[in-house]
Amino acid sequence: MRRDITSFLRLTSEKSTKQALTLQVRFGRLTKNYAIVIAILLLGIIFSCATPDFLTFLNIRNIFQQTTAIGIVTIGQAFVLLTGQFDLSLGQNVMVTSCLAAWLIKFEGCNPWVAVFMAIIAGILIGITNGYLISYIRIPCFIATLGLQMICMGLGRIITNASPIPGMPSTISVFGTALIGGVKYGIPTGVLIMLGLYIIFIFVSRKTKLGRNFYAMGGGQEAAYFAGIDVKKYRVLVYSLAGGLAALGGIVLLSRLDSAAVTSGNAYEFDSIIASIIGGISLSGGKGKIAQAFLGVIFLTLFFNGMTMLNVHPFIQNVLKGAVLIFAVGIDVLRNKGR
Amino acid sequence: MDSVSFSVERGTIHALVGENGAGKSTLIKILAGIYQRDEGEIIFDGKSVSFGTPHESQMSGFSVVHQEMKLSETLSVAENIFLGNLVYRHGLVDWKTMKEKALALLAMLGIDINVNQPVNELSVAKKQMVEICKALNHNCKLLVMDEPSASLTEREQTIMFATIRKLKAVGVTIVYISHRLEEIFDLADNVTVLRDGQKIDTLPVSEVDRKKLISLMVGRDLVSEYPKEQFTPGEVVLEVKNLNRANVLHNISFTARKGEILAFAGLVGSGRTEVARAILGIDKIDSGEIIYKGRRVRHKEFNRAISNGFGLVPEDRKSQGLILIHSVSENICMVNIGKIIKRGVVSSKLEQMYSDDFVKKLHIVTPSLSAEVQYLSGGNQQKVVIAKWLMQDSDIIFFDEPTRGIDVGAKVEIYRLINGLVREGKVIIMISSELPEILGISDRIIVMHDGAISGELMRQEATQEKIISMCV
Repeated sequence: MRRDITSFLRLTSEKSTKQALTLQVRFGRLTKNYAIVIAILLLGIIFSCATPDFLTFLNIRNIFQQTTAIGIVTIGQAFVLLTGQFDLSLGQNVMVTSCLAAWLIKFEGCNPWVAVFMAIIAGILIGITNGYLISYIRIPCFIATLGLQMICMGLGRIITNASPIPGMPSTISVFGTALIGGVKYGIPTGVLIMLGLYIIFIFVSRKTKLGRNFYAMGGGQEAAYFAGIDVKKYRVLVYSLAGGLAALGGIVLLSRLDSAAVTSGNAYEFDSIIASIIGGISLSGGKGKIAQAFLGVIFLTLFFNGMTMLNVHPFIQNVLKGAVLIFAVGIDVLRNKGR
Repeated sequence: MDSVSFSVERGTIHALVGENGAGKSTLIKILAGIYQRDEGEIIFDGKSVSFGTPHESQMSGFSVVHQEMKLSETLSVAENIFLGNLVYRHGLVDWKTMKEKALALLAMLGIDINVNQPVNELSVAKKQMVEICKALNHNCKLLVMDEPSASLTEREQTIMFATIRKLKAVGVTIVYISHRLEEIFDLADNVTVLRDGQKIDTLPVSEVDRKKLISLMVGRDLVSEYPKEQFTPGEVVLEVKNLNRANVLHNISFTARKGEILAFAGLVGSGRTEVARAILGIDKIDSGEIIYKGRRVRHKEFNRAISNGFGLVPEDRKSQGLILIHSVSENICMVNIGKIIKRGVVSSKLEQMYSDDFVKKLHIVTPSLSAEVQYLSGGNQQKVVIAKWLMQDSDIIFFDEPTRGIDVGAKVEIYRLINGLVREGKVIIMISSELPEILGISDRIIVMHDGAISGELMRQEATQEKIISMCV
């Protein structure tokens, strides 16, 4: 029906069509960019009405604390999505790198700082492998990153013998649990790290050549190539960025849980995709903002925090997560159809 | 679209012409049941008909052969012809009858295709034949063809025209849409001109000439379809010696001078685009020399060629030339992004400034700099592609099919732009399948055949016949 109207408009007069189209586009952008904000506010209102403990400083801090690791992983995933692909190895990257750091510290007597450094290098190497397989060997991203996911899953179990490594030295708390500004109203370092990374990468995505080229690749890989962009190189770069950020997420998680286990980072690859898409990043690439991914992550964590406080059974939470994803994407598809 | 009425007589070929956005596609989509009309009547075989869905339209004997094929690529020819209309026997698919019927249909049109072959192994022309057979199999009485010749080679076109004439002979009515006016004079009985969603006129083709038709389409008299300026060719900027690429290019040698438009003519697949790709480092070269401004160059990657001063306006504007979902300014600044970066940071101010400058200089019609290029007309989109290379300040620009799918009026603007570039001292190498365009605006013409250069002509001595004789 809506299509009929636009086609009718297009034919009645050149000039009015153009105005009508931009107005429509502008309205579309407005609702698209702010839909997630409205959703977050709505959730907040509902939950604070339902349970008095929701809108307390402690709980809000807790929500942000829970967001840290997945929030950092989502930055990398959002970049990969912007280039038109996705990375299924990120969750197990988080797991294997945090296990590696814990193992180095606990069993090899490694300096914690060196261990963290090594873990991040390992994460970047996983990303480089992904990027190389995809752009130079031309293996589809689904297969390459799924393969790496399984390899990481196995390596993590080999390193830890599948048993948790608890009890981290105090240095590790610098990456997550240490409170800046006093015990009572302090902000955890993990939250500050995440927010800092978002600020840096929102800037990188919009204001640097790297970011612009990522958008260009996602908008049209061929057109990017014909504009002289070294698509293969940037493909490797985006996966190594995602890999490095996932490893950093792994360290933050290690700090928060004070232990590494093969269950760490479980399903983060999908949660990060879900958060990005709910936030408004296009699955086909080239469109969306890193800030939207952040809002998506906040929304997801808020959603589960509230559900848990309301004593909703975890199995039902899973059902709702799926429903929210389908609903968010469904709205987007219907909106694009209207154009 | 506003109160368009026209009638088509049974068993005739009726051409529909108009610039982009004139309403041709909308009209077809209404006939095909994809869009709904607000008002008006469609009378077919004396009865008023109305289609809510494409299926209803097909059942009443309408069929549309779209520009983009609607075939299942991995299925066989026979399966495609019977798609949605399978023949059953005892509740099972009756392959034998279907293959026989498909063969009979193809034989009727005089086409030689193996009915068991998967469609993706066929050439574009043959795919179109399959599409036509599919329509006939749906008992089609009125066939709408939307720019069927756009992606065909000259030889394939001849075959398709013969097929269309055969269809006419068996009583099928054809509505033929095309940008190429020559075809209309060649093929059609009547022609209807649309402009801005309104019908301008319906005339027998025998009563109009090319000039009249164009002025009806554009709504004003075009002074000249091909504005040619005279330049004095300067020094040789590019010299190519014995360029070879196994099975693709054989001993390509030519020179390009400052201040001239060098055109590459030839059939589709004769290796014209491949010459450009080899020089630009997109494809590898097996042997040969490229001398550019007195220096031997060999581009390993396309971006090396760009920094050396080369540019390319590619053949496929929508997927190679532009990022459709990005804005006008993002597209313009895509190649020379370094120019808008200050101390590692993209400056929105510089981006606006440069884009605005080019939008004004090239008269790009766009609602704003931030509008997505997908909403621009073909001509304006092409100007955005050209702007990318102006911003890069490339010295030598390859134009591959610069006016494909662009309106007559906008074409003239593109030619003027190209002229302006030559005046500034740029080297222009144009690849084109449109002979009138080549004859109209180039200074020197190189003709290619089967991956080799088959001849070179100066503008003064060139004629359509001479070029065609070198093409085959």
